[in-house]
Amino acid sequence: MKTFIFSLLFLVSSSAWAQVSVFACEPEWASLTKELGGDNVSVFSATNGLQDPHYIQARPSLIAKARKTDLLVCTGAELEQGWLPLLQRKAGNSAIQIGAEGYFMATDYVRLAEQPITLDRSQGHIHAAGNPHIQTSPVMILTVAKALSDRIKQRDPANAESYEKRWQDFSQRWKAAMAEWQLKAASLKSIPIVVQHKNWFYLVHWLGLNQVAELEAKPGVPPTVKELQQVVGKLEQTPAKMVLVAAYQSPRASDWLVDKTGIKKVVLPFTVGGNDKSDNLFSLFDNTITLLLDGAK
Amino acid sequence: MKNKKLLALLVTAALSPMSSAFAGNIDDLKQEIAKMRADYEQRIQQLEQRLSTAEADTNAVAEQVAMAPALKTTNSNSPNAFNPAISMVLNGTFSQYQNNADDYALDGFALQGEGELGQEGFSLGESELTVSSNIDQLFYGQATLAVHEHEGETELEIEEAFIETLGLDNGLTVRAGRYFAPIGYLNERHAHAWNFADAPLIYRGLFGNQLSTDGVKLSYVLPTDFLFEVGTSVGSGDSYPGSGEHSGIGDWLVYAKTGGDLGIESSWQASLSHWESSPKDRSYSGGHSHDGEEEAGSAMFNGDTDITNLSLVYKWAPNGNFRQQNLTLISEFMYLNDDGSLNHGDELASYDGKQYGGYLEGIYQFNPQWRSGLRYDWLGSDHDASDNELLADAGLSHHGYHPQRTSAMVEYLPSEFSRIRAQLNNDKSYSDEDWQFILQYTVSLGAHGAHQY
Repeated sequence: MKTFIFSLLFLVSSSAWAQVSVFACEPEWASLTKELGGDNVSVFSATNGLQDPHYIQARPSLIAKARKTDLLVCTGAELEQGWLPLLQRKAGNSAIQIGAEGYFMATDYVRLAEQPITLDRSQGHIHAAGNPHIQTSPVMILTVAKALSDRIKQRDPANAESYEKRWQDFSQRWKAAMAEWQLKAASLKSIPIVVQHKNWFYLVHWLGLNQVAELEAKPGVPPTVKELQQVVGKLEQTPAKMVLVAAYQSPRASDWLVDKTGIKKVVLPFTVGGNDKSDNLFSLFDNTITLLLDGAK
Repeated sequence: MKNKKLLALLVTAALSPMSSAFAGNIDDLKQEIAKMRADYEQRIQQLEQRLSTAEADTNAVAEQVAMAPALKTTNSNSPNAFNPAISMVLNGTFSQYQNNADDYALDGFALQGEGELGQEGFSLGESELTVSSNIDQLFYGQATLAVHEHEGETELEIEEAFIETLGLDNGLTVRAGRYFAPIGYLNERHAHAWNFADAPLIYRGLFGNQLSTDGVKLSYVLPTDFLFEVGTSVGSGDSYPGSGEHSGIGDWLVYAKTGGDLGIESSWQASLSHWESSPKDRSYSGGHSHDGEEEAGSAMFNGDTDITNLSLVYKWAPNGNFRQQNLTLISEFMYLNDDGSLNHGDELASYDGKQYGGYLEGIYQFNPQWRSGLRYDWLGSDHDASDNELLADAGLSHHGYHPQRTSAMVEYLPSEFSRIRAQLNNDKSYSDEDWQFILQYTVSLGAHGAHQY
């Protein structure tokens, strides 16, 4: 009996020891890694749904986490340019350096849209590689999920079978959910909308929404009153149903527009944890579509 | 026999309505089942259709997505494809002081190098060129060249030029070359990343603005949940307040740094560092003379010097989202201990000097494009020499006075690549109170490196 208990304890402790430690830069990748890794991974998310991932401090706690990480799961495409390189340099951890097995950038596995024609800083905060906000489309999530699952298997080959099972299960559930979402959102097709920042491209494209205008004339630069007035002018020509804002963004510009035009404002979660109802990837899209349908009423 | 027939008849009679009723039910059931089956088949078909349209949609996008690797081609034959990240920081300043800038002194401290007040009126300040890149699988390299005008001449200075290991594992990092000594908080940051246009008085007084080292640094991050880092650095010991040539290790430093989060919204960092050197002929650049008398040569210090630094940083942002609003509080305290001798020409005196002081600054960013801040500096000194004349020659007289300064600044940040700053100082570095106004722009061209915590 004693040996049994000891061997059980050993099993428990060794399995806890063997967990792949994952550092996710954004909550959507933390959620996806949990789906694909289950109990074999322990996941830390560096940011939450109410934080702008462009502007994160390379805090002491993040350096401490990065030091112990086996796998870095981030968006890439310069989204984390302001803080991730510092963590990599300060952590003293070869596993998470560029190109290493523990360095996984989601945008490396999909084709990015909106690659700028002219790369010039006068155009605002643009990303040379293209629009990095891919988590707003479930198609992109699925593509990344496949690559991520392969990478987790590579990092922890001992549990490859379990990861394969989880991937099969996830892709089944995800495809079924996608079919549901597309059906539910069918009425949203061609609905005219306004966005605050250029971070909804993939959602707009997936659901076939009709993006009429952007509040930020230059991405990442708070719009001036003059620029907002031009948006109002545009909306007089082609009225839109709603203005989309991410939960982490400043409400000022969109509130101004609501005030001027009476347009409906929809605050979308943008990522997991962006509101109370979006606590995983499935509920994120459930909630996003519900909010869009409410907005389109 | 009759009985048997009767029984048979009876049984048949009894069963016949039943059996006919049973037969009727089966037909009904069959029909119903057939109907149900048709119904389900239709539904399944509908579902399959939905699924296939959904899949077709998905596949269409997925196909598009799958093309990505094929489209991402790199032009492999181009020799400049591996160019390092290059960034240039430009600076322009307009300063106005109430007192004559030449009269400036920091009582109890000898001003060195860039420790003097910036040029009055319009000036270019320091332009910095930084080049950085991963060198290979093992090393990262970075160099910063600073160009500035000094007394009418353009000076080029190597501010930093170091290599650093890339993930040596187990939390170890080795750096070699010229780098800002890991003492305190602000010292490891480039001046353009500071929150005020000028250095804290204690930095000005002890280092002539900043302490750099030519040497080797080793740091180790412990495998803890919060940050705990220890490190050491050894160097040539020739940069002020070190001085002279040393055949072996000229200065050494140890530090410990710790930090973590307080919930989602706040984070902190504290560090303790200690530096030691044995300066040879540390010269006090002719000494600062209020009487305007000509100095013959300059006073020099020989002996042992050590500096201890304590730094604290606290940052806060609503929801931890730094983009909109945030608050930063920084405070540092330093204590220098000189033990040795002063000499000037033929004169020699034993010397025991203490210089100390610190600052506290608070910066509040109230929206993405505006920041404002307050800073308070306070210093003190206590020197003991066997010949007070030598103290005067070294510019170390007036000890016991407590220089103070209060600064306020406001910044406009059109983007993260540019900044316009206005700063006002109430400066009591010496007995004549001075008001100083500084208007400054700082911009960054090209690659924009990540900023340290």
